[in-house]
Amino acid sequence: MAHVRRTLPLLAALALLVAMAACEGGRRDTASRSTGGRRILRIAYPREIDVLNPFTSQNLVDIEFSMMEGLVTTDDHNSYVPVLAKEIPTEANGLVVRRDDGAVAVTWPLHAGVRWHDGVPFTSADVCFTWRFVSSPGSQTYNRDQYLGIKSCDTPNDTTVVFTWDGLYGYYDGLFEAVLPEHVFRGMSADQIVNDAAFNRGRTTIGTGPFKFAEWKSGEYIRVVRNGDYWRGPAYPRIDEIVWSFIPDDNTRLNALKSGDYHWSQIQAVQVKDVVHLPGYQVHLISSNSVMHLDLNVKTARGRLLFGDPDVRRAIFHAVDRRAIADQLMEGTVTLADTPINPTSPYHDGSVQGYVFDPDLARRMLDAAGWRTGPDGVRAKNGQRFSFTLLNRAGSADRTAIGQVIQAQLRDVGIEVKFETLESAAWTQRWRTSTWEAVVSAWFLSADPSLTSLYQCDGPNNMTGMCDPVLDSVMEASDRHLDFAGRKPLLDEVQERLHDDAFTLPIYYNVVPEVVSDAVGDYRGSGTNFGSFWNLWEWTLR
Amino acid sequence: MSAYIGRRLLQMIPLMLGISLVLFAIIQAAPGGPEGALLQTGRMVDARMVEAYRHRLGVDKPVPVQYVRWLGAALSGHLGVSFSSSRPVSRMILERLPATLELMGVSFLLAALVAVALGIFSAVKQYSAFDFFGTGFSFLGIAMPVFWFALILQMVFGVWLKWLPISGTHTPGVTSVMDHLEHLILPAAVLSLRYIAGWSRYLRSSLLGVLRADYVRTARAKGLPERTVVGVHAVRNALIPVVSVMALNLADLFSGAVITETVFSWPGIGRMFVNAMYARDYPLLMGILLLGSVMVLVFNLVADLVYAALDPRIRYD
Repeated sequence: MAHVRRTLPLLAALALLVAMAACEGGRRDTASRSTGGRRILRIAYPREIDVLNPFTSQNLVDIEFSMMEGLVTTDDHNSYVPVLAKEIPTEANGLVVRRDDGAVAVTWPLHAGVRWHDGVPFTSADVCFTWRFVSSPGSQTYNRDQYLGIKSCDTPNDTTVVFTWDGLYGYYDGLFEAVLPEHVFRGMSADQIVNDAAFNRGRTTIGTGPFKFAEWKSGEYIRVVRNGDYWRGPAYPRIDEIVWSFIPDDNTRLNALKSGDYHWSQIQAVQVKDVVHLPGYQVHLISSNSVMHLDLNVKTARGRLLFGDPDVRRAIFHAVDRRAIADQLMEGTVTLADTPINPTSPYHDGSVQGYVFDPDLARRMLDAAGWRTGPDGVRAKNGQRFSFTLLNRAGSADRTAIGQVIQAQLRDVGIEVKFETLESAAWTQRWRTSTWEAVVSAWFLSADPSLTSLYQCDGPNNMTGMCDPVLDSVMEASDRHLDFAGRKPLLDEVQERLHDDAFTLPIYYNVVPEVVSDAVGDYRGSGTNFGSFWNLWEWTLR
Repeated sequence: MSAYIGRRLLQMIPLMLGISLVLFAIIQAAPGGPEGALLQTGRMVDARMVEAYRHRLGVDKPVPVQYVRWLGAALSGHLGVSFSSSRPVSRMILERLPATLELMGVSFLLAALVAVALGIFSAVKQYSAFDFFGTGFSFLGIAMPVFWFALILQMVFGVWLKWLPISGTHTPGVTSVMDHLEHLILPAAVLSLRYIAGWSRYLRSSLLGVLRADYVRTARAKGLPERTVVGVHAVRNALIPVVSVMALNLADLFSGAVITETVFSWPGIGRMFVNAMYARDYPLLMGILLLGSVMVLVFNLVADLVYAALDPRIRYD
């Protein structure tokens, strides 16, 4: 056996050497270089999407927008810009006309010479078809209600579409983020379109966009290739191919990025410090329209008892150090939020100053409201302790951490905060049914600044049960203005009243850290729900 | 023997019915529903749309009604349509199954080879340096969190050395076998470690027991060389319990490795299962869980048969 003892380590060492030599010789080429002269953009994407129909997908649909285009998209300034439309209709350019019967005719001039990926011409009829589909009861489009104000769609010619609205709707210019090809779906009901596997999975997926669908490998990636017949001319797009690899694990995505295999990736805010000096990459902190906030619920009896008094709500907000959350917890990557509307939007009201962290003021306000500190350090009034439960969503580390900071800071002013943590779907159910006392959550707002659905007394997305009739009337009025000049002062008032009403404490605007290779040109990151791929047609790749 | 197998297969039918009922009840008992997927992006949502969505999926009906509907379709061979992708569940599972089978199969083979060698050497050389190393290695393998080990391997071989890719099954656009094998190395290494650790411990302790048995002493007394004593007389008997454990583990081949597949973006069943769970995609969950259950039953039978083949004392009539 002695010879075995001698030869075993020798053999092991030899095997290791052979392996190292083999691998050394085969050091991998990083995939971020172009292959065979083709400029292939490689993207490490945080999730696999569900379907390719942008109106029925329940995900954010930025991948779809590489293939499908709409009348408009949103740019890096949180504003709508025309895509298939030649210009956005306004009253000033004469394309929006109020009729005597209260109806409003909105005329969209379309680009001529646009073809679908299968060569069929794109016409105004496709736009009307899209409207009929989206507004039908079975379309499952998340903002279907916004399309219901359109009463008819007319096509005077192939490059003009006229919508007749039954009244004034401020969001009229932000709809139709995509247009569906009528000839692909001809004869299908809305249900059949929703369930059409051929379009949902890519077999018949066509658009007018700069890239054509090529391949969807389940669980792995979606690949699109250059549309040689793109309507902006033969110079566009300037990339041959894009591959979105689905890498759901945050750490794996970070490692994939560091290994040099990808040109673009989204990471978490707390990972920014790991890549800020990564050679060949730039980190862009895209401030998104998603606003992290603390909500206090008055729909439950317990909620009304604790939070019914506006001064008590304001006291709570004064006791929360939002600056510390933004600067220390989120490591300075995020912007403090004073209103739900992001400063990148022209509708942001810069004069609103958020609640200043002042625990002494908070204590005085709570004293004045009759909440006196009891022997256990927790305030009480009429035999009720000031103790409430913050509903946390499992897996949202940032929200849980914010909750812990709030818990500690409110304890300082004599308020007890308990935690209840639920798994994501369970959390969502509780949250939608308003059976909670407080939550930290985030809304992802579109570029259109309307907040009515969130804060109207009976608004479909009003989860806190807040109700301010004056605010309602101002929000409704703001929705009836079609021009910036008329809408802006009303929305300023909305933001000011929201601050005073103090049902919701904006904490910070979520940041989407996007890491982009230096090889990529003309990237202009956008924080709207359309995402940063809105101008893929002009991206370049060295 | 064939009568025995037939009887066992027949017994599976009522068992599967019971399992499907329990699974359906458990899945439905989880709070929240498939509409949660609609609301998680934080967008403002048309409330009527949420109700229309629930109605279309049929989840607004009472749970027993949903079960009967599901069972009726399942008995006619239709496992339903996924809530999130509107695609047939059977097709989605078949699409992901090869990736899982490949990853699990390679890991099993690798683990079996290493575990058997490790187990035999550890037992034969009990309390040697090699045995201590093997024992330490095994406990490390059992104790180490899979995701952590996976991330460390990614760091070392993907980021620092740049030898191996760290996600997916191949580089998009590249069809070479080498490229695919490169993608397989890290996840297979991570997965096999756990099996190596467990199996080698089983084999070691089983073999230690056998090596002290009378018939082994008799074999040695006959003057047989140690290699024959261990290889022919001891190992075959020591393998009996180990092989049954391995056969039971074989059911994992079809249910995938949730963590490894997620960390390495491996498009297998395990990852799909996690996504389906978060999305409350009931039909897809049922499909995956049923497949796993059938496989557990089947490999239980296989384990029993292998046991009989290895151990002449066991007869099934």
